Amino acid sequence: MDKHIPPRLDVFLDISTYLTGFPLIDLQSTGMAEVYFNTIVAHVNPQTIDQFYDACESILKLKSTEAINETIEKELIPNGNYAGLGQKIILMWYLGTWDGNVISAQSYTQSLVWEVAETHPPGAKQPGYNSWSEPPIKINC
Amino acid sequence: MENNTTEYDVVIVGSGIGGSIVAKTLSQAGKKVLLLEAGLEAGMSFQKKEAFDNYMGYLNTFYEKAAKVPNSPYPNLKDAPSPDVLDIEPITACQPSTKGYLVQAGPLPFGSDAWRGPGGTTMHWLGSTPRMLPNDFRMKTLYGVGVDWPFDYNTLKPYYEMAEFEIGVSGSVSEQKGPDVDVERDYGENYQFPMKKVPQSYLDKQVIESVPSGFKVFFNGKEHELQFVSTPQGRNSIPNADYPYADIVWNKSSGKLQLQAEKRWNTFTKAYEHVEQRHATYSPVGAVWDDHQGHRCEGNASCVPICPVQAKYNALKTLRKSDPKHIAIRTRSVASKVLTNEETGEVTGIVYKKYENPSSSVFESHVAKGKIYVLAANAIENAKLLLASGIANSSDQVGRNLMDHMVMLTWGLLPKKAYPFRGPGSTTNIPTMRDGEFRKDHAACISPIDNWGWGWPKFSPGSDVENAVAQGMFGESLRNHIHHIVPRQLLLHFECEQTPEPENRVTIDPNYLDNLGNYRPVIHYSASDYMKKAFAEYKKVSDQIFKAAGVQDFTEYTTDNPDHVEYQGKVYNFWGAGHIVGTHRMGNNSKDSVVNENGQTWDHNNLYLVGCGNMPTLGTSNPTLTMSALAFKTSEAILNHLNS
Ligand SMILES: Cc1cc2nc3c(=O)[nH]c(=O)nc-3n(C[C@H](O)[C@H](O)[C@H](O)COP(=O)(O)OP(=O)(O)OC[C@H]3O[C@@H](n4cnc5c(N)ncnc54)[C@H](O)[C@@H]3O)c2cc1C
Ligand code: SF4
Repeated sequence: MDKHIPPRLDVFLDISTYLTGFPLIDLQSTGMAEVYFNTIVAHVNPQTIDQFYDACESILKLKSTEAINETIEKELIPNGNYAGLGQKIILMWYLGTWDGNVISAQSYTQSLVWEVAETHPPGAKQPGYNSWSEPPIKINC
Repeated sequence: MENNTTEYDVVIVGSGIGGSIVAKTLSQAGKKVLLLEAGLEAGMSFQKKEAFDNYMGYLNTFYEKAAKVPNSPYPNLKDAPSPDVLDIEPITACQPSTKGYLVQAGPLPFGSDAWRGPGGTTMHWLGSTPRMLPNDFRMKTLYGVGVDWPFDYNTLKPYYEMAEFEIGVSGSVSEQKGPDVDVERDYGENYQFPMKKVPQSYLDKQVIESVPSGFKVFFNGKEHELQFVSTPQGRNSIPNADYPYADIVWNKSSGKLQLQAEKRWNTFTKAYEHVEQRHATYSPVGAVWDDHQGHRCEGNASCVPICPVQAKYNALKTLRKSDPKHIAIRTRSVASKVLTNEETGEVTGIVYKKYENPSSSVFESHVAKGKIYVLAANAIENAKLLLASGIANSSDQVGRNLMDHMVMLTWGLLPKKAYPFRGPGSTTNIPTMRDGEFRKDHAACISPIDNWGWGWPKFSPGSDVENAVAQGMFGESLRNHIHHIVPRQLLLHFECEQTPEPENRVTIDPNYLDNLGNYRPVIHYSASDYMKKAFAEYKKVSDQIFKAAGVQDFTEYTTDNPDHVEYQGKVYNFWGAGHIVGTHRMGNNSKDSVVNENGQTWDHNNLYLVGCGNMPTLGTSNPTLTMSALAFKTSEAILNHLNS
């Protein structure tokens, strides 16, 4: 049987690639997509969420990456728009937090900031004895 | 009140490293020990599964906490509360801060925390273990500052070796250098640490290489050669094949504790076993739930607050070596008063409050009885207990001379990536400012290079992301920005030796009680000009190092930081080091000290104090190795006391 996929999860993921600067495959491989999608559902009123995804859909239809990014900057990044969802989504992916609170143990260990900072989340995914005396090895470049 | 009828040889309060060393040493020597611990039993258990489940619970809590401060993985109980750095706030004149467990009377808030629970504060310590310098023991004679210790470095030397065995120190003896360091004089010709040095970080090497060799820094009117040295530390690395000892044993006939190579305590059979000569090399002590885990540091980079594999030393490792035949451990048991016989001065019992539910104010009072009593509840709690009991204070020194390393931090961006946030918290330190004539004028300091970027003062890298996003950055530009900035972060510590000041002190006040009606410590704390001048001099040192290494300075000191001082028109910030020292100092006579050189109180023959509170001065080294050496010295004295 097919796993139930929440409607608009694809929009959430597509817009997340632009918001975070990470390709879809990297976002999916955190295993956190549905958790973050549902975190929004749990905290933001449904109408605002719908309006946000409507805006995302029309932005994603734009022809060029530049146009998409420009419109994201104007439409989704300002904190006054759509309950600040644009910035909140970035912080979920990068830090695993919602309003400053860690969403779950996994959201901390899967947060993207550590990879961007060329390290690993402290206390998890340890790279092994002596690793710190050499420059980091990038495994999935 | 219920009296427990069993009388023990020794009653110990606290299962931190101080209490655990005494408990282990005395129980292995066949003495009957009762250990009272204020925190929950979880993790203290000799049962491996419980210890594992409990510890993994701590780890999960750590993951889930937003502010990953030292106490974040561990429970803060209403019935045995812990000081927490998150409670530190500015103190307004005449109005103490009562937000947390400590009542902070000021003028400055005391910046350090501790954890009250099984294993104590070593659960979240970093584990740096440099020894004190010989000159640190003679501050009054040499520099006219503070007091001298009642003995010299050489007296402590054999006990330093025991502490280095017990903690499992990794380090290179021959590489130790700096002012007042002479390897042969200080360590002896063939001495080795149990394990090889923890590799210095790539970041350390980048910093060291970026400073020209022979570079001198100028402070207090003189040039001083800048040196870098690998830091000895209590985390497992590669066992040192040349290390000669197998264990510490009590030699009854000589009345001495001895490091020797013939026998070793087996934690599984709970008995001594003979050591074959070829197996005499040091065997790292792994996790308390599985001795095969944690034999090497795995680079988790979370030593403070929690090492997931217990490659870092914690006091449960020592406690677990106690002989279960001779030790009884009572948890959820908060010592609240020491009883004495007014005529003889002998301690007759320790009242403790036993709770079931750590949030309820319901408790039962009991009295623990022994021949000898040991308080090892940490410097603040020991002083508080003595004050609450109205004892041991004929010198009026109990609670006074509270000290910490006041840590001035400086931070900047290196010209090239050095990849912080990897490996143990610190693997290299600058010893240049540890000793010299300048100690007549301002505080000495040790200056560790931090491996974890701007995490401490700035909560990096989380705050870097938050700030960038708040400024409107997103997508690839955000990613590039973080990628460009965070791997270049450099943080230096200037851990300044605070001198003993009688007015920096712990007191009690019946207006401030905890959930069980025990006193909360009231802390009075300030920074003298001797400290402020050090901040000013070391900021200049930092400037010189940053300039030589091409580091762009981002250090910013503000009056918003609760611990800020002004000196010659400039603001400086400092942070607490977690080194809570000096509240019941040792000395040569009962007039100006609380305990003698063995930690025995002058006023009560059968009461001993263990912990950093005994230290008359702080030195520039992190204090726990020295305190552990003292705890072995005290254990030896107690064994001789019991046998006489
Ligand atoms: C963040 C941090 C990093 C540190 N890093 C280092 C380092 O790198 N190197 C170094 O040398 N030192 C370091 N320290 C300091 C070090 O942790 C302490 O010096 C050491 O752990 C103190 O040991 P202790 O046994 O005296 O006290 P604690 O470890 O505080 O233990 C006291 C014990 O007594 C129990 N207790 C308290 N009150 C009562 C009561 N009323 N009744 C019964 N039981 C009670 C507590 O529950 C606890 O088990 C650090 C400290 C902090 C906070
Ligand atoms: S770096 Fe990691 S494995 Fe090593 S001691 Fe620290 S937390 Fe433990």
